[in-house]
Amino acid sequence: MTPDILLLCLASQLCLVTGQLLLKHAMTQTNLTPIPWWRVARQFSIGIAILSGWFFLWGGLLQRKDLSYIYPFEGMGPALMLLGAWLFLKEKLTLQCCIGIGLISAGIALVSAS
Amino acid sequence: MSTNCNNTDEGKTPPAASAGGRPRLHPYLQIIVAAFCVTAAELLFKRGAMATANDPAPLGIIGLSVLGSVWTWFGIVPYIASFIFWLNVLRRVPLHIAFSIMSITQVLVPLGVWWFGSEHISPCRWVGVLIVLAGIFVVARPAMKAEEQL
Repeated sequence: MTPDILLLCLASQLCLVTGQLLLKHAMTQTNLTPIPWWRVARQFSIGIAILSGWFFLWGGLLQRKDLSYIYPFEGMGPALMLLGAWLFLKEKLTLQCCIGIGLISAGIALVSAS
Repeated sequence: MSTNCNNTDEGKTPPAASAGGRPRLHPYLQIIVAAFCVTAAELLFKRGAMATANDPAPLGIIGLSVLGSVWTWFGIVPYIASFIFWLNVLRRVPLHIAFSIMSITQVLVPLGVWWFGSEHISPCRWVGVLIVLAGIFVVARPAMKAEEQL
């Protein structure tokens, strides 16, 4: 894997995780009463904008590599998401979830290395 | 760190019916439906990307030229469907659990490309796919079991 492809993979994952964290934060607030629409709309819009960045980076990667080769790099997502959800959304982590996500990442690493 | 996965934001997932009594898909089922939509979208995007691989890229490394293929636009439709399901899931399921279960696409995409015969998948890659499946099972099972007990 060349450095530019690796950089693109990392950048796309960062966009994906940041965008999803913002979407989750926005959608969780729709469970409140009254719903803080302005805050929800702002976080939702920023999340969509960042996910759009991910979309175009991903499109660039797809043009250069086989889908089955680069798709596993999306698998960094669960581990990064676990970290992001714990740090920013204060979601509780469990031992089983950490083991499961470890397995997912290991499987993805194996797929990537093959 | 607790020892089970039943840790939704509010302690439990809201019931699978709206205030008006209209039945809704179970959030975990919605994740699976969203995963199938993403798989369809990825396969279509790949087709669109291949169709435009030799087109001049307006912004260099950014893949804007993929929008020049009709397959990319077809791929956007299941992506939008997946996104709608996903937003509903985000209201009910913790992000790290939902996103981990969504990793089922790591299995569905290789299956898809293998099924349509466009790419070769090595045995080692298949083993990785099985490990990913095992990981998803470990993450999802306790959460779903807790849901059933509610």
